[in-house]
Amino acid sequence: MSNGLPLSGIRVLDLTQVYAGPTCTRILADLGADVIKIEGLKRMDITRNFVMPENISEDDYWNKAGYFQLRNGGKRSLTLDFSEESGGDGIEIVTKLAAQADIVAESFTPHVMAKLGIDYESLTMIKPDIIMISMSGYGQTGPWRDYSAYGMGLEPASGLSSITGYRGGDPLRTGISFTDPYSGVVGAGAVLAALVYRRRTGKGQYIDLSEQETAVPLVGQALMDYAMNGREPERIGNRSHWYAPQGCYPCAGDDNWLVITVRDDGEWTCFCEATGHEGWATDKRFADNQSRRANHDALDELIAGWTREQDQYEAMHRLQAAGVLAAAVLNPKQVLFDSHLKARGFFDRVETEQGPRPVPHQVGAKFSAFEMPSARRAPRLGEHNHEILKGLGLSDDEIRDLEERKVIGDEPQSAVPLPVMRMFVQWPLTSYQQMGALGAIEEDHREQLGIE
Amino acid sequence: MPDSALAGLRVIDLSQGIAGPYCARLLGDLGAEVIKVEPPEGDYTRSLGPFPGDRPDPDQSGLFIHLNGSKQSVTLDIETDTGREALRRLLATADVLIESETPGRLAELGLGYNAVAKDRPGLVYCSVTPFGQTGPYAKYKGNSLACMALSGLMYVTGDPDKEPLCTGGEPADYFGGLHAWVSVLAALEHRGETGVGQHVDVSCLEALGCADEYNTTMYAWLGAVRRRFYSRHHIPTYPSEIFPCRDGHIVVIGGATGFPLMMAILLEDPELENNPLFQNLWLRTIQWQEFEKILRPYLAEHDWRDLLERAQELRIPFAAVMSPATLLADEHLRERGFFGEVDQPGAGKLPIAGNIFRMTETPLAFGPAPALGADTANVTEAAK
Repeated sequence: MSNGLPLSGIRVLDLTQVYAGPTCTRILADLGADVIKIEGLKRMDITRNFVMPENISEDDYWNKAGYFQLRNGGKRSLTLDFSEESGGDGIEIVTKLAAQADIVAESFTPHVMAKLGIDYESLTMIKPDIIMISMSGYGQTGPWRDYSAYGMGLEPASGLSSITGYRGGDPLRTGISFTDPYSGVVGAGAVLAALVYRRRTGKGQYIDLSEQETAVPLVGQALMDYAMNGREPERIGNRSHWYAPQGCYPCAGDDNWLVITVRDDGEWTCFCEATGHEGWATDKRFADNQSRRANHDALDELIAGWTREQDQYEAMHRLQAAGVLAAAVLNPKQVLFDSHLKARGFFDRVETEQGPRPVPHQVGAKFSAFEMPSARRAPRLGEHNHEILKGLGLSDDEIRDLEERKVIGDEPQSAVPLPVMRMFVQWPLTSYQQMGALGAIEEDHREQLGIE
Repeated sequence: MPDSALAGLRVIDLSQGIAGPYCARLLGDLGAEVIKVEPPEGDYTRSLGPFPGDRPDPDQSGLFIHLNGSKQSVTLDIETDTGREALRRLLATADVLIESETPGRLAELGLGYNAVAKDRPGLVYCSVTPFGQTGPYAKYKGNSLACMALSGLMYVTGDPDKEPLCTGGEPADYFGGLHAWVSVLAALEHRGETGVGQHVDVSCLEALGCADEYNTTMYAWLGAVRRRFYSRHHIPTYPSEIFPCRDGHIVVIGGATGFPLMMAILLEDPELENNPLFQNLWLRTIQWQEFEKILRPYLAEHDWRDLLERAQELRIPFAAVMSPATLLADEHLRERGFFGEVDQPGAGKLPIAGNIFRMTETPLAFGPAPALGADTANVTEAAK
């Protein structure tokens, strides 16, 4: 049955975890694919441990994590121990599911799939036109392929951190594991390209994605400069390689900022008029882009003198109305309340286990011919075990037997005792606040968001 | 010769800058025929460089070459009737249009989706702009920096006592390009089922916002507002941080099994295994300055490759801080054949980044970027 979505009727077997892989498969789910997420009871997706509602970790906390919701909405959950220790049942079920799947996605260390007998070669025996994607830190080949890879290491390994940092300072990382979501989107595109090819030729294929590599193109301009001129890039903070002035300027209030870019002499004149400093427009030090670059420090001081007196949002609107590129630096709370993102419906209101919560989209596009079903709850651990296994023809007795032997289930079987895990997943928020890693902690956030 | 995934597909790339052109390049890398339609003065990235020997030349801008390999270049002035008519004729042969004009601009010129789709109902018409086609900021001026600011990601990037920091490399543009690419492919699959094209509205701000790990979620679930805090975005994993070492920088990550023993062995001081800062994650996280008094002096006396290799032997997930020079010389990337190489007339052989994934049946392919207007005569003649 078609639901009008591009991937309706496509089934994805999702063996990925955490951030990159689940981003890829969440995009496929939003485009209409039936995504079966497989987790082991001894090895559930660790993001089920992060961001507990109201920081409370009672009962089945693993079904309530905010982090897990973000990238697993709309998927079905099957718990399955398919490790070698579990005997053959788990792997037999994976194989049967693969025979009915169009796409298999995995993010294990290289060789794990081969060891389990479900690598691409083996899968083509049971489903010749299967499309399989492996998403690992450093790819399936090369001397670093078996390196242990965490998302936090891959943005620097891609080269991106070498061009991120304050002037004269050390390399810095983005406030997210940048290459994870980036690789997730690349992975989704690679799978879609393989589907276009399969539609034309009937052939499946294997995709080897290295998270280190996906983000290297962001360094493209610096790579060209090195190849052409032998120059290594300098870190330039928030300035531009091309335009001046550009920067992040302080505004009225505490930790409020505004970014401004002036790209040509016309915008410069507009900027001077909008800020009431027409005199700057005739100041020889700032006459053209080249002189503004040369006198950037002096310019920054003048601009900050003006911004300090301004409300960040009002200044943004005033400058934009005058034709100047400016934007308020929003904190995560402000993003949830921004009028533009609200008008665009960027946050879905998802009915989670603990009532409605705003959850950002995972595709930054609107389609005129269909609407993505993005406002869907993430599955409880093992929520679809019975439905999926019955679909494979297993009887109630067989399913009960798997439950008794803990091959499937709905409670994690962690090596760490549950009371310890419960403590671990509650974060010491006031300590983080004292360190400076958190600003406000607002107990009435649900009231403010209108989701009580 | 190997097949290509998008053979037979024709893309008109009317976009400029980074996001739209990168989307079109990715379609071209997969085998689509991409015709870049530029204004008479050319895509503005032709003037941004870097240039060989710092001599400006619109056909040898490094950024332009990086984003426009394998395309053909046609110059048309869509401000004129003849230019618009030539573009309409090209669109009559196309499967995909990528454009990045200010929302509403092409409709004013009679080239909006509805007008174009009348003649070509199967066309996938993709608009890529900073803030999307609708909403109060739709016509605001934008760039990657503005999107970083409005997405919340900039606020959480940088040092706590300094101004928020923008990630280098124009990340919102590349994210926007990727989402446009994914969306075009999805629309092509939809067309494969239904025969109809559509208008796809991509916002670079939203493409970047999708990437947020859990910053808005921390407010929605906990009422907590995250602040920037060095490179420690995931607080409960300290240290996952970039540190200076003797010959550069190294990413120190303890991982699930690094502390206390393996890290003590790596730092060549087994006694550290019993140090409370090595045994207790929360203590280490909160008293991080104390921990760094142990770590930093050791790193300062060792080279990054030595640290990386010894850590990995101990299964501690340290990582390298690569730069253009180390990326281009790297053995791992070379063995994987990551970089493509093109012979760019006038500039010589240049590396292209690159093979961002490997497909067994339909490998990516790279080519040089076109000189401004090089294909105008051929392409417009054929479309008559």
